[in-house]
Amino acid sequence: MGISTTLQIGANGLNIYRVASEVTSENIANVNTPGYSRQRVLFESTSISSSTGFPLVSGAQIASVDRYYDSLLQQQLVTAQTTQGYDTTKSTVLQQIEPSFNEVANDGIGAAVSNFFNAWQDMTLNPAGSTERQVVMTRAQILTDNFNFASKNLNDSVVIQNASLVPMTDSINSTLKNIAQLNGQIQTTTLLKGNANEMLDQRDQLIRDLSQKIGITTTENSDGTTDVNYADSGAALVSGSKSGAFSLDQTNPNSFVVQLTPPGGALANVTPLTGQLGATMALRDTIIPDYLNQIDTLAKSITDSVNNLHSTGFSPTGGTGQNFFTPSGAVAGSAAGFSIAAGLTVGTIAASGNALLSGDNSNALAIAKLTNANTVPSGSPSATFSSYYSSFVSKIGLDVQSSKATVTQDEAFTRQLQTLRESNSGVSLDEELTNLLKYQRSYQASAKLITTATDMMDTVLGMIR
Amino acid sequence: MRITQNMSSDSSVYNLQQGRARLDRLQNLTASGQNVSTPSDDPISAHLLVDLGDKVRAINQYSSNTAKATSWMQFTSTALQGMSDIIGQAKKLAGTINSGSDDPNIRQSAHDQLVNLKKQLVDMANTQYGDQYIFGGANNSSPPFNNTDNNYAGDGTQLSVEIGQNTTQTMNITGNRLLKGGGTNPNYGSIDILKTFDDMIAAVGDSTTSSNVPAINQAASDLYDGSKQLNTAVSDVLSRMTRLDNISKFNANSKDTMLSIASNVQNVDYAKLGVELSQQKLAFEASLSATAKVSQLSLLNYM
Repeated sequence: MGISTTLQIGANGLNIYRVASEVTSENIANVNTPGYSRQRVLFESTSISSSTGFPLVSGAQIASVDRYYDSLLQQQLVTAQTTQGYDTTKSTVLQQIEPSFNEVANDGIGAAVSNFFNAWQDMTLNPAGSTERQVVMTRAQILTDNFNFASKNLNDSVVIQNASLVPMTDSINSTLKNIAQLNGQIQTTTLLKGNANEMLDQRDQLIRDLSQKIGITTTENSDGTTDVNYADSGAALVSGSKSGAFSLDQTNPNSFVVQLTPPGGALANVTPLTGQLGATMALRDTIIPDYLNQIDTLAKSITDSVNNLHSTGFSPTGGTGQNFFTPSGAVAGSAAGFSIAAGLTVGTIAASGNALLSGDNSNALAIAKLTNANTVPSGSPSATFSSYYSSFVSKIGLDVQSSKATVTQDEAFTRQLQTLRESNSGVSLDEELTNLLKYQRSYQASAKLITTATDMMDTVLGMIR
Repeated sequence: MRITQNMSSDSSVYNLQQGRARLDRLQNLTASGQNVSTPSDDPISAHLLVDLGDKVRAINQYSSNTAKATSWMQFTSTALQGMSDIIGQAKKLAGTINSGSDDPNIRQSAHDQLVNLKKQLVDMANTQYGDQYIFGGANNSSPPFNNTDNNYAGDGTQLSVEIGQNTTQTMNITGNRLLKGGGTNPNYGSIDILKTFDDMIAAVGDSTTSSNVPAINQAASDLYDGSKQLNTAVSDVLSRMTRLDNISKFNANSKDTMLSIASNVQNVDYAKLGVELSQQKLAFEASLSATAKVSQLSLLNYM
């Protein structure tokens, strides 16, 4: 043990504090990188020697460069993001549908229905009047337009949801591929005892991104890789450095079927229930078709009940058996096919209940009274046209309201988890600056050690001269 | 808990967003004056509002029906009044000649007057409202009466209109009930007024035919009954008009009630809104100022 040991310890110090400053600078540089976890330098003292007669360590060294990471938080974030992805997609689409049925602000189907039957009321006062007949025709046309528009709107939404499956599965597939690729690189780096912290961060960020689109479960392996499984079917999505892929069976162009090929497995149909993919499927297959069905039920009910009465009435010239609206077969498509029947003109509207009496208003009165009849089959008891429709409007309102509320809760929950993650893994500039000062001082001190040792060496050499 | 700059700025952004959203909502409410602009704002109120809107439209229609039916009744009432006057004149004429007359000129003059009165009666019975014959039942293709025979060409249909939910009112009085003494439910009497006129004309005689005193008396008595028949019809019309009047008042009241319920639900309370708005504005300004001040703090400023 001599002066050279002090020199050696000083040189070591310069080295480790340079590395420490590098880690700090990396932390500072990545302060805004999404998914970055701050890293810290772990120092340790070197082995103890007793060459001076006292047990003293011969300087310090870097044990490792660690990242702050909480795997439980990562799991919770993955789950929360899946729920948020589902609810956000559903809420966005529902909010797009709502304005078409905003009967509170605009006159829609509800007003068109009551105006149509009010036109029949006017006709009861002058059954043969051409003005009154023309008004009935015009009101019927407006009602037709409203039904067709509502039906087209909902059908378009279904088509858009279906088409959006293509870019969504493409994006999921590329994320899966990237995760598998990073897994491979991490595995290699870990084998070579290298530092894979940045790659781990990138992979974990990709997993969080993926969890918005589909529900997943993850398993962390000892070699640093993470396996990803599909929560809705249990099938593997990423296994080590191999990834699976989603595909679409486009046999039915209006309703694609989602399929999954796990890594090394066989193609199979899956039913996505969670995440954005699950929400898109639910909107396409259940939620929007359910709205459409209600509009169709109303349209069919109006068509049938008006036709029933109209076809038994008589036109001013004694004609009978004329339908008012084109008869519809099944409930599905009733609103889309809602139209004024062929052969119905101002002259063939059947207001009279008697072939010989053009001034009779009994049929017009009977049709006008349909407004207050419980004709729409909505379980038991059946409802009037307007109450059925206002319930429908209120149902859409409720759906939108509750989905908005769920999204707000999801956002708050995710935010809380992200705050916790940030608290643990986020970079604090103040902290890094403090560290920088600390490391700078230590570096200066190490340099002072070297100059001091040099002075001591000079003193010793001077004695010899 | 360890707090980083990013956490502070994230939560600043989140809170500013929340504050901005609340301000936006209040601003929307103030500008529109409506509590419910979309069904999702308040689904239950939206249901109520849509329902009320529908009911108000229905009541407007019932009011319009009532108004039209009322003017039909007024037309009917005027025509009936005219008919009553004619029968009154005929009765007076019958009174002056109730014991017949030997003067061919007087007989001829009475005969001519009666023939004219009958023509007027038939004209009134053919009164039209729009293109409908008000005493023709459901037949509006030809006049119900003519001057050549006493047959009724209309039919006995009673036209109804809806004046309230599931409440209908008969609008017309058919010619057969009024002038022919026929029909049931309602029935005003059994006198064929047109035939009575003819009987009277025949009984009075003319310049060449002498009067038939017992027949004049019989016809005069029948005319008296006929005028009672008309009066019964008049009072029927008046009672219907009274009912329409009541219904229209009821409809107007219901409409007022519904509109006031709707406006209670729909209209915002500006005083409350103003207070909330100024509170929210203050909170938002505070959060802006705090964000600007706190986010400038950094160790860098002191190094």
